[in-house]
Amino acid sequence: MIQRHTILLIILISVLVTIAVFVAPGLGLQQKAGIVAPVTVYNRSGDNSSIEKPCSNEHPDWRPAQVIEGVTIDAAPSCEPDNPYDIATSVKGTNNVSMATLMQTNLAQDALTMTDDLDNDGDPDVIHIKLEVVELNGASPDGEFLINTFDIAPGIQPGLWVYAPKSRGMALKNFNSVVANPLLRAPSPVIRVEQGDKVYITLENTHYLPHTIHLHGVDHPWLTAKGEDNDGMEEHAVFPGKSHTYEIQPRHAGTMLYHCHVQTAQHLMMGLSGLFIVEENQPDNWLQTFNIGAGQVRHPSVAVKKSYSQEYDLHYQSVDKKLAKIIQNANDPRLIAQGMGRDYNMTESFENYFMLNGHSYPYTLRDGMIIASENENIKLHVANLQRSSVALHIHGHKATITALDGVDQPAGMQVTRDVFDIAPAQRTDLLLQTTNNGLHSYGPGLWMFHDHVPTGTTTDGMEPGGNMAILAYKSYLDEQGMPKHHDELFDQVFNKNYYAKKQAIWGEGDFAPLLGDAGLLAPNYMQIIIFGLVAGLIIGLLVFSVMIYKRKQKQ
Amino acid sequence: MKALLIGLTMLGVIESAQAMNHGGMLMDEKGMIMNANSDNLPRDCTKISENVDITIHAGQKHALKFAGKMFAFDQQEWNVKPCAKINITFINDDQIRHQLMIHGLPGYLYPEGMFHLELYGEGQLQASLIMPSQKKTYLVHCEVPQHMEKGMKAQIKVDGGDGNLPSIPGISEPVKADIYPVDWTRLSMAVLLLSVLAGCAIPFFVIIYAQSIKNMIQKMLTR
Repeated sequence: MIQRHTILLIILISVLVTIAVFVAPGLGLQQKAGIVAPVTVYNRSGDNSSIEKPCSNEHPDWRPAQVIEGVTIDAAPSCEPDNPYDIATSVKGTNNVSMATLMQTNLAQDALTMTDDLDNDGDPDVIHIKLEVVELNGASPDGEFLINTFDIAPGIQPGLWVYAPKSRGMALKNFNSVVANPLLRAPSPVIRVEQGDKVYITLENTHYLPHTIHLHGVDHPWLTAKGEDNDGMEEHAVFPGKSHTYEIQPRHAGTMLYHCHVQTAQHLMMGLSGLFIVEENQPDNWLQTFNIGAGQVRHPSVAVKKSYSQEYDLHYQSVDKKLAKIIQNANDPRLIAQGMGRDYNMTESFENYFMLNGHSYPYTLRDGMIIASENENIKLHVANLQRSSVALHIHGHKATITALDGVDQPAGMQVTRDVFDIAPAQRTDLLLQTTNNGLHSYGPGLWMFHDHVPTGTTTDGMEPGGNMAILAYKSYLDEQGMPKHHDELFDQVFNKNYYAKKQAIWGEGDFAPLLGDAGLLAPNYMQIIIFGLVAGLIIGLLVFSVMIYKRKQKQ
Repeated sequence: MKALLIGLTMLGVIESAQAMNHGGMLMDEKGMIMNANSDNLPRDCTKISENVDITIHAGQKHALKFAGKMFAFDQQEWNVKPCAKINITFINDDQIRHQLMIHGLPGYLYPEGMFHLELYGEGQLQASLIMPSQKKTYLVHCEVPQHMEKGMKAQIKVDGGDGNLPSIPGISEPVKADIYPVDWTRLSMAVLLLSVLAGCAIPFFVIIYAQSIKNMIQKMLTR
């Protein structure tokens, strides 16, 4: 009798399990649709609060050509022109401008002193430069927010470190804000000095970890006059609260670099690197010592003015979001040192953000464009400070290499081409001609220029992003320096939801019903009920049979 | 002449109100003073209640006593009476820039509610301010990026203050605390296990000695 019951039970349970397994696929988190697929969801409807104004147009008065403190400053038609008072002070030195001018900047009064015309050629030759180390998008123990924020693209705030000219006053943009003031930004400023100048670069380490300045490619003695470190190597780190002065008198002119050489892989990727340009010695050559945020040089050197109509500094940089996150996840310097120095493994990491002059597209449209007229000769200093190679391509143009790593190319080796391969830390000086001859230029337009390595035009994988920027002919720009007739694209990309991957890429316009986001499948209640009944029955039977079995054993 | 005047002011030789003044700001190559006030009484004060002289050191070495910090002031809290005049001597012990900012002051005396001292490097300067009568805690900090976050944060309490600000080193907890691993040793594991076993044994203990426990309770009650 017992055996027959057992066999019956086994068969019954087997049948029930088969039914359950058959029905179960209909209950997954994902499943196949029947004939009718889910409807399209419009995830960009209504709420426009995440859309930013393409150009805030904060300082239209900074755009025109002007003269401040006797310094001629070229026009800068872009949306976010450099502060002309920063430029005047960078040219004259903080010691040679009026208090009123200095008050229009965030520079400390001893940030840049220029004295002593040693060669009697009308410009100062003893230059004291003071740099601080600033953390952007850093953590706060006072809540779930980042402080001294600097957005590289809509809603994108990776932790960054930069060198900044010694500043004064509030580090925040204003009293009710966590945004960094305009002097504190990526990339580290471009520094320009004259060949033969006696330059003293003081690193005042305002940061909480040790750093140095290594002058990559710049003519410098290995030791200072006092016999101290002058190469910025790891074993001579400048610790928090300390300062150290590096001394140079460069004999060779060219486009060089400076960067931190402490935990170099990590610190360079955090943003502690910049262009260091030694300009030819010329009479009356007052140089723009700092080019804040790189980009257009509004007061080019005497030598550049002889051969070129405009000059731009292009600083390519990349960020690994896992590395950048370390300074946002903890506040204790010991935890940050451990997280960055030992827990983080760069050989198992990626580059996620790609920036030109501190910004990723679409913010590159605000201050990263090259703005040209026809028949111009434009000088570009291109530096690759990212981890991977750059393959720079300018649409509609072929430019010419004039110098590599700060050394002029002989006439016969000045190659004209449309993709420039630049290895990490290499510099390429280019002559960009806007002559409409079918070779150097195909005519006026809004021509993109970008790294042609596919990752370079993405922001954490989102296209269009990364270091994409535009070579814009003036007639195609509006009065705020933004490309004309691009309102629909701007609504899409000047939007943090786009880069947070919350929106369908073609979620608006005629094709939205076809290319918007697919909605969810309705649940199949019949299958759910059958599965529930069957599964419940199996469990009930098992418990019941165990109880019977135990009772039988007792008897 | 201007530089001399500012210099003298910073040395405390003459009062700041007489010196050259750029919208409440005094500045030279050593540092700056913003919104110093040694004369004007807040509206709610009829006279200065007390003169408090405080010396505040700022520097990396002052963080040594706080684990997990990098920069600090030498003190984290000052208590003053309502309508006190505070004469601050601010000393920077580092080779870098530090600031001393006090926030939340009345805007009609201190634009943006802020009193601000800044030293571009090693050195010292002096300035005064007069506190209102309100019972309130004021934030004192250095606003160079990450200096407050990494410990350069303090508070001034007027009339006992209205509580502590968060993450003042040695005084108050952070709002967003860091997470640290716990040091689990064999000993601490053994203690845990033993505690669990003891807890399991309690019911059995109660059943076995039920009668004697009952008697004990009765005895205690009759007493």
